Amino acid sequence: MTGTSPIGMAVPAPRPGSADRIRAFASRYAILLFLAAVVVAGGLAAPGFLSGSNLTNMLMQFVPLGIVVIGQTFVILVRGLDLSVASVMATAAVAATAFGGVNADAPAVFATAIGIGAAVGLVNGLLVTKRNVSPFLATLATMIVLQGIRFAWTQGAPSGNVPPIFRTIGAGTFNGIPYNVLFLLVVAAAGAAALHLSGFGRRLYITGGNPLTAHLVGIRAARVTLAAYVVSGVLAAIAGLVLAGFVGVVDNFVGRGFELDSIVAAVVGGVALSGGKGTIAGALTGAAILVAISNLVVMLGLPVQAQIILKGIVIIVAASFYVARRR
Amino acid sequence: MLSLQGISKGFPGVKALTDVSLDVAAGEIHALVGENGAGKSTLTRVIAGVFQPDAGTVRFDGRETVWKGPGDAKRHGVHVIYQEFVLFPHLSVAENIFVGHERRNRLGLIDHGRTRRDAKELLARFGIDIDPEALVRDLSVADQQMVEIAKALVHDVKLLILDEPTAVISGREVDVLFDRLRRLKQQGVAIVYISHRLEEIFALCDRVSVLKDGNHVATRTIDEVTRDQLIALMVGRNLAELFPVRRSAKAPGPVVVAARNVEVSGRVRGASIELRAGEITGLAGMVGAGRSELALAMFGAIPMRSGSLVVDGREVSGLSPRRAIDLGIGLVTEDRKGQGLAMLLDVAANVSASTLNEFGRGWRFDRAREKRVAEQEIASYRIACRGPSTPVSVMSGGNQQKVLVARWARTSTRLLILDEPTRGVDVGAKTEIYRIMHELADRGVAVLMISSELPEIVGMSERVVVMREGVVTGELSKSEISEEAVVELATRRLAG
Amino acid sequence: MQTRTLRLPRFLAGGRAALLVVVALLILLFVLGASVSDRFATTGNMLNVYEQSAGLALVSLGQTLTILTGGIDLSVGSVISLLSMLTSGLIAGDEAMVIPVVAGVLVLGALIGAANGVTIVATGVHPLIVTLGTGAIVQGVALLYGLGPVGSVPISFDAFAYGTFPGGISIGATVALALFLLVSFFLNNTRTGRRIYAIGDDPHAADLMGLPRRRILVGVYAASGFFAALTAVYLVSRFNVGQPYTGANYTLASITPVVVGGTMLAGGRGGVIGTLLGVYLVSLLNNTLNFLDISSHYQLVVQGLVIILAVSVYVEKQRGLA
Repeated sequence: MTGTSPIGMAVPAPRPGSADRIRAFASRYAILLFLAAVVVAGGLAAPGFLSGSNLTNMLMQFVPLGIVVIGQTFVILVRGLDLSVASVMATAAVAATAFGGVNADAPAVFATAIGIGAAVGLVNGLLVTKRNVSPFLATLATMIVLQGIRFAWTQGAPSGNVPPIFRTIGAGTFNGIPYNVLFLLVVAAAGAAALHLSGFGRRLYITGGNPLTAHLVGIRAARVTLAAYVVSGVLAAIAGLVLAGFVGVVDNFVGRGFELDSIVAAVVGGVALSGGKGTIAGALTGAAILVAISNLVVMLGLPVQAQIILKGIVIIVAASFYVARRR
Repeated sequence: MLSLQGISKGFPGVKALTDVSLDVAAGEIHALVGENGAGKSTLTRVIAGVFQPDAGTVRFDGRETVWKGPGDAKRHGVHVIYQEFVLFPHLSVAENIFVGHERRNRLGLIDHGRTRRDAKELLARFGIDIDPEALVRDLSVADQQMVEIAKALVHDVKLLILDEPTAVISGREVDVLFDRLRRLKQQGVAIVYISHRLEEIFALCDRVSVLKDGNHVATRTIDEVTRDQLIALMVGRNLAELFPVRRSAKAPGPVVVAARNVEVSGRVRGASIELRAGEITGLAGMVGAGRSELALAMFGAIPMRSGSLVVDGREVSGLSPRRAIDLGIGLVTEDRKGQGLAMLLDVAANVSASTLNEFGRGWRFDRAREKRVAEQEIASYRIACRGPSTPVSVMSGGNQQKVLVARWARTSTRLLILDEPTRGVDVGAKTEIYRIMHELADRGVAVLMISSELPEIVGMSERVVVMREGVVTGELSKSEISEEAVVELATRRLAG
Repeated sequence: MQTRTLRLPRFLAGGRAALLVVVALLILLFVLGASVSDRFATTGNMLNVYEQSAGLALVSLGQTLTILTGGIDLSVGSVISLLSMLTSGLIAGDEAMVIPVVAGVLVLGALIGAANGVTIVATGVHPLIVTLGTGAIVQGVALLYGLGPVGSVPISFDAFAYGTFPGGISIGATVALALFLLVSFFLNNTRTGRRIYAIGDDPHAADLMGLPRRRILVGVYAASGFFAALTAVYLVSRFNVGQPYTGANYTLASITPVVVGGTMLAGGRGGVIGTLLGVYLVSLLNNTLNFLDISSHYQLVVQGLVIILAVSVYVEKQRGLA
């Protein structure tokens, strides 16, 4: 604690004791400690859990979720929420097959997918900033519209294969390391740089933490918010391509459940729905926890249904933990 | 009626009340005075059961009491009128008056007719002309305050606490309120009256207790204390010591910034003000007089309906906070936590917030330089914190305020507007903020200080502009400034 | 009566003028439908629209209450799924089990809802997150109970969904209508009803006024669970069997009529009559699109656009500087 003496001289804050420091450390890295605990416990309980093939398997599942969570984090940081990500993923994946399947021109596919993601993000962002629609409803509406367009376009039953390049990115490995993991690392590094090192990131945190402050210091909060939704849309589109490449075939439900999973992962990772608080590393840790727990359920031979039950418990417990710590 | 013994209450990082003992008798109007941050609000909340004291006992109506919550206290006859309204904007006036004590018929259903009639009668008894079926959000601030007061009279109230009830009402409404309070007193109600307006306290109250820095300093009957003695008790020193003398004061320079005929919807109705280089101008008036809105409009933070801002003789077009910052205008807003600071971020980020471009455009952001700047500001404003990366949320109110002032002092080359700059800060920080104002003025910056504290207006200003109901009612030069003159202008009846 | 200033009828006052927008949309749709097909504006077709509204109506009723308090219930879909399975699974074709099972399911729904409320109140976590979590847990339990249709119900059980009063008026939709009127009366004329608005309007003020905010919240989520249970019973009546994904679409679908009906997500403003009109709007919309021979896929598009239109009209008030 700091204080001021009666004559206004600064009083140096007492050095925190070691017990305090340990507590602060534990509090700050609680989420990482939790992941470590899950991994260690998993390794002890299920021998196959830490095997190379299982780790690779988990990584492959982690990547698409990780990419979406990064975008979701941008949006949640500005007090938003993006329910349209799963719909964007599926639409991007469906679009990827629309260019003549295996013979498709990869850059064209890529550009189309990103275009779709950016457009949806733009609509979400405009609804939120211009019309002052609550993010929940705005992204819910675009999710539904997009789903309808996709169904109508594909007549309800898309079929087809993704171009080989996406198969490689989605499922291939390079010296044992999945390509898509490298892909995630690049996206995560770019996202973290944007959030934590750039002026844009600073504006984003101020806007999310206190929109009135942002306005008063001359930050164009609407533009920053809009950008966050576009980032989320674009990353969702990319995640859709990666996931489609991983699975190999495309249906209307690529990415189903990712909208809620990505929110769960971000919240578990300490990104506050009230805005202005959270990091890319935290959100990715949250995603990793979800993937590890889901995998562990299978490795322990528990019924698959236990996955979603555990997911439900984890989000409530994690959110309670953050709320309690804030008090 | 009420007896407090050794009440202490702390919050993380702050000791709000220390060993406060106080008695309030039935049929007494007991004034509670003290500077902002002296602990009045906390004490109010302890009495009302919102906070549990850390130590000490509350005796109410002869019995030692531990309130289970505000509802419990209310059931026993403790009613508080808080400074911030406790109203439901989308419920009607009548519903707001009876919320918690809904008028019901024999079937246990809400009796809408009786609710309306009783509300009407209650308001009429008060001489208040408000439609009981209007929604509270559609009322003026003064009318909302009257609804708050009417609410208190619904109940069988034994102890009534009023926290700055006259902050947003005036003239006739104040008279009506005092009349009601005196009648309640005759009925044996104990009343705690919190106010900054000492003249009200001398007119209304029987005894006065003074709080300072969370301690109970003194209780006096009203006729054994003078106004000056009371101020000395509150401040704990002479006014002359609190407000530093500006040694290097010279004649003010030319007008650098002027607002002309500014209108802001509903709040400011054609106000003009001129600010000169190197001069500290006080902007006085009642809460709700439109001072903050004028400041926000001059800064481009809220739209002007009409009027203009003139800087160095040229009219500014396309005014926005960004433009204002570029023109060298700064605004320390009234609501430090709600508007001014990004509470989740650290000192460095809050200091640099208004000049982010200075630290790099596009992708690069020079954190090292930001840290150096913050370190400089921490040293020059004597901000007590561990360093640039201390989150502002863990700092004391005074130090938070210094961070805010530091941010704007950096960029204000022409004009710095400070809206209630010393509200809720400790005395040390106060002095520091005054010193900063002098420094800026010495550098040739125009300083505009909005304050509701008369001593502050009188002690700091070299010229005072007074507003009432959205218009400027007068201007006082250095030699004319006195508390009486300011009050006269602030409450002057408007022609027409 | 003394002199009174001119004002909207009480039913429309308090921001409820938003209802006019829904009514206008309903009329517009009706005119559109009537101009497309002779069979549209018939009594038979309108009774059909009415009948189709029952399921959505029941679940949206509970959702309106949670949204009025400033919260939301994202667990309703899972609750419907689980309870629909329990209904048909436990009745298992046995006539004698119908009443005890239905009663038990309704109680269980209320209990699950109450558990949501208690968790929200006890942890202070946003209802969106809490009900997302409990929704996942309930869905998991449903899938543990069975991965496909479970059990069966007697033929007569379909009376709730398909039965009619004389004149062809749907029983299920009428039950829903009656419940809406009942809840509307409750909200406007009981102490707890008015307090639901108060706590949604300003929770902090509600606490300072000593209103039993926590208790009311638990009650509201219990009500939402109860209406989800009733929806489950209705859907079993309609489809003869419960399935693990029966309710999946209802979570988000239940929000549409609420917001279209003018209830603000921020809480404290709106009401169930708006929601009822919103339900009829959705039902009429789907019916009209059928007549227009538009692929069912576009129904989603239109539904999404209606949400966007509605929420753009009722702009939520923003916290500002002045």
